[in-house]
Amino acid sequence: MKWAKSWYLSDVILIALIGIFFGAIFMGTNYVYDVLTAALAPVGLAGLANELLLGLWCMPGMLAGYLLRLKGSATLGELLAATVEMFFGGQWGISTLISGVLQGFGSELGYIATRYKHYDWLGLTASAITTTLVTFAWDLAKNGYFKLQFWLLVLYFIVRFISMFFFGGVLTKLITDLLDRSHVLKSTHNN
Amino acid sequence: MNPSIKLLLLLVIALEISFTMIISLNVALVVLAIIYLGLHGTKLKTLAWLLVVPLLPAIGLWSTQYINGSGDKTLMAWVLFTRIYAFVFTGATFTLTTNILQLADALEQNWHLPSKFAYGVLAAYNLVPKIQHEVKVIRAAGLMRGQQLSFWSPQLYFKAILVSINWSQNLAQAMASHGFVEDAPRTHYRHSAVHARDWIILGLGIIGMQIGVFVIPWH
Repeated sequence: MKWAKSWYLSDVILIALIGIFFGAIFMGTNYVYDVLTAALAPVGLAGLANELLLGLWCMPGMLAGYLLRLKGSATLGELLAATVEMFFGGQWGISTLISGVLQGFGSELGYIATRYKHYDWLGLTASAITTTLVTFAWDLAKNGYFKLQFWLLVLYFIVRFISMFFFGGVLTKLITDLLDRSHVLKSTHNN
Repeated sequence: MNPSIKLLLLLVIALEISFTMIISLNVALVVLAIIYLGLHGTKLKTLAWLLVVPLLPAIGLWSTQYINGSGDKTLMAWVLFTRIYAFVFTGATFTLTTNILQLADALEQNWHLPSKFAYGVLAAYNLVPKIQHEVKVIRAAGLMRGQQLSFWSPQLYFKAILVSINWSQNLAQAMASHGFVEDAPRTHYRHSAVHARDWIILGLGIIGMQIGVFVIPWH
């Protein structure tokens, strides 16, 4: 467990707190998902609600990876958010944990591909791409996407990437810019 | 049963039903989960609520396959419909009978998860009510200045992260001041053990799952 050595107790608490905070904020968005699903289900496009909002749900991982810059922070951040969501009775039961690990690891891959050096648009874009790919592969099986018609798969994939890029990329960048300007980030890893 | 072994078994089941298309297996898992929950004294109201929670996504998945699927649309639609119920009910056998403290103990003592992860996450988890309150405070504070903070506002997340940084340092210092030393060996007040019984249940569960998938013809 070499990677665990670089983590301090305060990092673990921080990443868990962020996961729970985001979870608490997301709970206020459930109505968006419910309304969209109900509206799109009659035409067989209910998955779009999931695709549109997935970037939001993957944000804790991407943000944690960007914020803490430690190996495993994206994976752990998303996993913790998912664990908390499962204990609070999310709509996906036990599969929440598997999705959480995969979403987190998907984000992590983007930072791995850029060698944990690019905490800028390049790293965030890479992370958005890898998260889209990994989560989509999982949904081919879990949500039966492999049985869908091809045009719908392409549509879902594009919408999912846009969502990832908007929430995981643009919004994360805006948030971290605010953090940079407030100079709180450096102090987080020196105690 | 040891929480970590139980979770492992449930994850194996979840992974396996994600890759199989047997409606009756999903239903069987839901029935088994309901029996298990019933034996553990889960209230009927809670069980009824579990039926309602995944209904909307389940209908969404069903209609997507039914309208825009390919091949045997009806089969796949019902597979996905029952699959999400299987996820939720098997998940509930864990979340309704085990708390996160027991899980953290098991992961730390039986699987050598570094204690800073186990206790760090617990420290944060116990702040959940305070966190929910704080989100309301942040929103209210925004409204007082005429700022509507919605879920796409960077400001909302920024403020949440500032609070998180603050609290995480306070908590870490509080724990250190009460004698918590990172990476130091610990003694335990609550003991968590993996018994032979746990391994047997895990083995039987996994074998039973394979019989359900490959041996029993479900039609």
